[in-house]
Amino acid sequence: MGLATFVISIVHGLLWGVVLGAVSAGLTLIWGVMKVVNVAHGEVALLGSYLIVGLYCALGLSPYIALIIALASGLAVGIAMYWGMLHKLVGKVEVMTLRVEMSTLLIMFAFSVAITNSYYYFIGSEPKGLGLWHFGPKSNINIGYLVIRTNSILACILAVALVAVLHLLLAKTTLGKAIRAVMQDAQAASLVGINPVKIKMQTTMISIAVTMLSGFLILLHETSIIPGTAALYTPLSFVIVVLGGLGNIMGSFVGGLIIGLVYGLSKAVIASVFNPLASAPLALSIAFIILVLTLLFKPEGLFGR
Amino acid sequence: MSSFSELKARLLKPTPLLIILLIAAVAVARLLNLTTLDTMTIFMYFIAIAASLNLIMGFTGYVSFGHCVFLGIGAYIYALMVYYVPWANALQKTGGLGIIAVALIAAVIAALVAAAVGLAVLRLRGAFFAIATIGLDFAVLYIVMGTVPFINPEQFYGAQVILPSRCLVSKTSTFTAMFITMALVLATNYLVRKSRFGMGLVAINEDEDAAEVMGVPTAKYKTLAFTLSAFFTALAGAVFYLNGGGVSPEAFDLAHTVDMIVMIVIGGLGTVSGPIVGGIVYYWLYDTLLVHYPGVNLIILGIIVGLIILFAPEGVVGILRRYEFKGVKLREVLE
Amino acid sequence: MPEAILTVENVTKRFGGLVALNKVNIDVYDGEILGLIGPNGAGKTTLFNVISGVYKPEGGKVYFEGVEITGKPAHQITRMGIARTHQIVKPFNDMTVLENTMIGVLFGRLAGKVSMSEAREKAMKVLELVGLDGKASELASKLTLHEKRILELARALAAEPKLLLLDEVLAGLNPKEIEESLKIIKETKEAKQLTVIMVEHVMHAVMNIADRIVVLHYGEKIAEGKPVEVANDIKVVEAYLGDRDLALKFVKVK
Repeated sequence: MGLATFVISIVHGLLWGVVLGAVSAGLTLIWGVMKVVNVAHGEVALLGSYLIVGLYCALGLSPYIALIIALASGLAVGIAMYWGMLHKLVGKVEVMTLRVEMSTLLIMFAFSVAITNSYYYFIGSEPKGLGLWHFGPKSNINIGYLVIRTNSILACILAVALVAVLHLLLAKTTLGKAIRAVMQDAQAASLVGINPVKIKMQTTMISIAVTMLSGFLILLHETSIIPGTAALYTPLSFVIVVLGGLGNIMGSFVGGLIIGLVYGLSKAVIASVFNPLASAPLALSIAFIILVLTLLFKPEGLFGR
Repeated sequence: MSSFSELKARLLKPTPLLIILLIAAVAVARLLNLTTLDTMTIFMYFIAIAASLNLIMGFTGYVSFGHCVFLGIGAYIYALMVYYVPWANALQKTGGLGIIAVALIAAVIAALVAAAVGLAVLRLRGAFFAIATIGLDFAVLYIVMGTVPFINPEQFYGAQVILPSRCLVSKTSTFTAMFITMALVLATNYLVRKSRFGMGLVAINEDEDAAEVMGVPTAKYKTLAFTLSAFFTALAGAVFYLNGGGVSPEAFDLAHTVDMIVMIVIGGLGTVSGPIVGGIVYYWLYDTLLVHYPGVNLIILGIIVGLIILFAPEGVVGILRRYEFKGVKLREVLE
Repeated sequence: MPEAILTVENVTKRFGGLVALNKVNIDVYDGEILGLIGPNGAGKTTLFNVISGVYKPEGGKVYFEGVEITGKPAHQITRMGIARTHQIVKPFNDMTVLENTMIGVLFGRLAGKVSMSEAREKAMKVLELVGLDGKASELASKLTLHEKRILELARALAAEPKLLLLDEVLAGLNPKEIEESLKIIKETKEAKQLTVIMVEHVMHAVMNIADRIVVLHYGEKIAEGKPVEVANDIKVVEAYLGDRDLALKFVKVK
């Protein structure tokens, strides 16, 4: 493997890693705070992607305006999901039991089955994307032997912004402090006057809205999406959230970078020593081996106590 | 206790029981429109995988969400064996028992994988265990996708192993093999439920720490249940994909685990009759929806499953067993 | 000197910086009832957890009938003949009272040696002994707190232990229930020739029933002896009152 390949793998790995880190933010929030194991996470992100594609293609709206609409609808979808599915399972629960946690996993899986098949039925399995739309004056930037799509760069910028805003929201605002209090101890939080039900609903809203926004990043990075795209992003988000530690936004961002890098580098190595066609699946299998090993040896995540 | 022993005595009189079972089987076949060997094989496959997962999830409460990994391992090893190993192909051609004999090898390998990871992974609880099994499923899936195509680049495109006609068997043979598989796993469920081992597993489900202190060797029991469960899942997977004429990475789709979970949840967790009741209801639901609402059938299925989890988490058997009928506690009949 | 059935030797258990047990030495003699008392946080339940194998101690050793059991898995220790109850009752709620007790038989000292039907009979006998036979086919979740504690005791007895660890079996019970429980404990102890260690806060009860008392305070053994001696030990009274002058008055009054 030459130096050029090495540099290219690192850069592309990082570009994807940043997106992965941002996509995982919503999951680490809802799982960390509410113990809701959202196995429909990638599907929710695609809801955002499809909404933006739809608004752009059907109504000719600029993706930036579509993004704002996606944010607003994300909040609304969050409210609906909370009251429709989650409240009955976790709303009044102060100390989470394993059974409650499992029931959230099952209900979210039922949701993912319904929503994925809705995509297939109503939208179809053909790739959907923003066509020739690109960020800035050109669609590609060339730096030596490196070719980077400008949309990938936009995805990176937005990803960093999204994670930064979410981090500040949790660290600095009253709402963020209340959310963290509920995460640590819902019982104690309610004793100091925090209404856990309200916080759980708001957490769901934020998580779903952020996840739908991150669908735009997936769209920018992947160029086009199919319903099956979710089947990659959901499990990868789990790898990253576990690696970063539940509820740790910055942790999952770093986790995303690590997985992106590991994927990029191992893909290059496997391609050069074994077979380029086998490199992508085998590199992905490494990510899942990392998931299992993290759960076994450092279940609190890389940055946990 | 008298009602229990009476009931047991009644159940152990073989002839009336067999007649009742036969009538029930005919009624179920009519109800589910099981007109061809193929539909019957698929129906029995549903019951078999539900009963397999029941061994770990139903009894111990550990939700092995990536359980389809064993379905895939079983199916792939079986397909590759009959493809490349002449004696395996010859053996499976001898009929249902021959298929089972070859499938046993695949099932043993899956069971060994389960035993190896089980010891480690079963230390995790709740969602972490479920997520770890999902991780295992995806790891194996991508390893299969990254290696199988290179075993035979011309034939196994996209990691699909489509069995050529020289490797195929009659539908009667797969029917027989699936019947044996289903019977074996149901019998295992029954024996486990009635044994000390089963009592220990249920205790683990109720409170693992208390069970350990009361003398239940929890680590050993969990691993054994997980291994048994993987064994039968792989057996059913091998026969099912043989019946379908080959295997593709689709075998690792988590939707298969959801099939299993839904059937046990509908039927009632940790009961012997649960997978059967769940299998009948689920197959009926699956078949009816597919016929009447093609395309949206899976959407409706997802919604139904969600409603069951929200409003009837104990399942049909779970609810029924709380009631008494003519002095006989249904709880004792159904378990 | 009678023979020690259990020997706790220099046992130390830490949780982070907190020393829950500090070089504790205790001998428990065959056939006695040993009361283990001390203020909250003294390390009583921790000691039970070390003996029953739930925790592994950082230092020291535990011998049962001359065999070292330190660090053995809990289920093995139960099979060797040590059974315990929990301070917070942990019945298997979705199982019947009989099934709960059967678990005790099936996985206790007779593990692997009894059939299911024998286990059922033995469990029924234990339930008769503790007076829960009337509730045998009830789900455990339907019992009252008092009954749940008795069930906890029944499950432990079902294991046919030689040594029984009772962790606050009287807590939260009314005086009548306490008397009933004490009667059951005394009777079963005689019937099964048990050795018993009781952690107890209900002081008059434990002083009444125990042959000997060990007092723990902040993880250390501060006194040991006959109930009367211990009750008059200045260190013990001080540990409970937290005030030496006050303690002196109490001891003098006695």
